Amino acid sequence: MPKEVAIIGVGYAGFRALTPEVSYKELMYEAAVKAYEDAGVDPRRDIESFVTVAEDFTEGTSIFDEYVPDQLGAVLKPVHTISGEGLHGFIAAYLQVLTGAMDIVAVEAHSKASNILTPDEIMAFAMDPVYNRPLRANPHFIAGLEMNRYLCETGTTREQCALVVAKNKHNALYNPLAAYGASIAVEDVLESEMVSYPLSRLDMSPRADGAIVMVLAARERAEELSDIPIWIRGVGWCNDSFSLENRDWTNAIYAARAAEMAYRMAGIRTPWQELDFAEIDDTFSYKELQHMEALRLCRPGEAGLLVEDGATEIGGEFPVNPSGGSLGMGHLLDASGLARLLEVVLQLRGEAGQHQLSDVETGLAFGWRGLPTTSGAAVILSN
Amino acid sequence: MALLEKVDKNIEARAWQGEIPIQSRYTCGLAGEKFFREIMENGRFAGTHCAECEYTYVPPTIYCERCFAKLDEWVEVGPEGTVQSFTVLLVAPDGTPLEEPDILALIQLDGADSVLVHRLGKVGLDELAIGMRVKAVFKPKKEREGSILDIVHFVPVNA
Ligand SMILES: [Zn+2]
Repeated sequence: MPKEVAIIGVGYAGFRALTPEVSYKELMYEAAVKAYEDAGVDPRRDIESFVTVAEDFTEGTSIFDEYVPDQLGAVLKPVHTISGEGLHGFIAAYLQVLTGAMDIVAVEAHSKASNILTPDEIMAFAMDPVYNRPLRANPHFIAGLEMNRYLCETGTTREQCALVVAKNKHNALYNPLAAYGASIAVEDVLESEMVSYPLSRLDMSPRADGAIVMVLAARERAEELSDIPIWIRGVGWCNDSFSLENRDWTNAIYAARAAEMAYRMAGIRTPWQELDFAEIDDTFSYKELQHMEALRLCRPGEAGLLVEDGATEIGGEFPVNPSGGSLGMGHLLDASGLARLLEVVLQLRGEAGQHQLSDVETGLAFGWRGLPTTSGAAVILSN
Repeated sequence: MALLEKVDKNIEARAWQGEIPIQSRYTCGLAGEKFFREIMENGRFAGTHCAECEYTYVPPTIYCERCFAKLDEWVEVGPEGTVQSFTVLLVAPDGTPLEEPDILALIQLDGADSVLVHRLGKVGLDELAIGMRVKAVFKPKKEREGSILDIVHFVPVNA
C-alpha cells in the first residue's frame, strides 16, 4: 500500500475517572484545539469534513449527531456521526481522503462515562429483547461465558489472564495519560470480587472520561503540513453474527477477519515479524489474549504463554499495549479503539515519553466495540 | 485557543440529572411466533434447518445467515442438550451484588448447531462443567405465555 493518507495531528483531553469541571462538549473542544494546533490547521478554513463517533444511549440523548458540529469547528461543514467503534469512525475519515473527495478530514471520539448513571442497564438494552433480555441478567455474564469457553478451549489459565492485568496496569504507571496505573500481583486479580465466574472485578477495565481528535490529510498536504506524518498502511473491519445464539464463542473471528483485511492492504504476511508492537482491545483481561491469537500475533492458544514469558511487556520481544491499554488507561467506551491508535501514533513519532519503545516503524491498533457486540476494527500505521 | 478557565471548586461543578422513559413492543416475527407457540402448546423446541449449510437454527430464523437462503424446513430439537459454556453471575442488572448466584449457560440442544442462552438449576456449583448434559424444564402449561421465560431453566439430565 503506497503512502496516500497520513495522520498529521492528534489531540486529547481527559483520560481520568471523573471530569466534573467540563461538559462533554468542552472535553471535545479541548481535544480538537490540541489536534488542530498539532496539525497546524484552522478547522474553519482547512478542514473539509468531520467524522464523530457516538452512541445515543451512552450520551443520554436522541440523535446525538446533531450535538457535534459546534465544539469541533464543524458548523456548516460536511459532518456525520458513526455509531460504532472509534476505529470505524477513523476508517470512514480515512476513506473520505482516499477517494480524493477531501484533502483534510478530522475524526473525533469521546467518553463521558462518569455521567452515565446506569451503564450496565444500557449494555443490557443492547441484548436481544425477545430471546435474551427477559432473563434480566447483568450483561457481564456474556464475558463470563466467553472467558470460560476460551480458557477451556485453549488451556489458558486465570493466572495468565491476571498477568495481562498486572502488565497493563504496570505499563500505565509510565503513561501520564493513564488513569488506572498500579503495581499489582496476580493474586490481587485472582482474589478480587468475582463478577461472573471466571471473570473477576480486576479482569475488567474500569471506565474513564476522555476525548480524542485526529486530523488526517492526503499525501501532498500531509508532507507540506507535517514533519512527522504517520502513514495509514492498512485498515479492516468486520462483524460476526450479533446473536448470542449463532456467534463464534471460542474465536474472536471478527478480529481475525478485520486484521486479515488490514494485513492484505498493508502487504503484511507474518504480522508477528513485520509489526513492531500492537495496541489491542483489552476491555477484559482474556480479550487481550483472545485478540492476540485472532490477530495472528501468535499461534492459537499461545498468547497466555507469551504473557507468562514476558514477551509482551514493554521490554519484550513484541510489546502489547505499552500504553497500559484499557485496563491501565481506563475504558473510554467507543473512543477506546481511538485511544489504542493514539498510542500507536505517539510511539511512531517517538513522543511516548517514559514508555517509549525503541526503533519502532510499524504498529497495529485493534478496537472491539465491547459487550454484547462482535464488532471489531483494525488499523496499521507506519512512520 | 484552549480553555483558559475551568471550574476549580468541586462544589461548583454543577450537573443536571435526567432520564429517558422508553417503552417498546418487540415483534417476535414469523420464526419467533412458531418457536414460542411450539413451547406453549407442546413443550417442544422448533428450529429451522439449512440443508445447504447443514446448520440448524434454534431459536429459528426464516433465513440462513450463512448462505442467505430462505428457510422453511422445520425440525424438532432437544429437549436435552450439552452445556457449551457456563458462568456464575454474582451481580444484579444494576451492578449491585446478587444474594444468590445466578448460573447462566450456553446450551446446544440435541440436533441444533446454535446455542440457547438460559439458566441452569438444581445443580451444585462444583458439578458445573462444560460438556455436561442438561434438559429443559418448562413452566406448567397453563402458566406459559409465549416467552423465553416459559422455560424455567435447564437441569442435569440425571437430576
Ligand atoms: Zn445456509
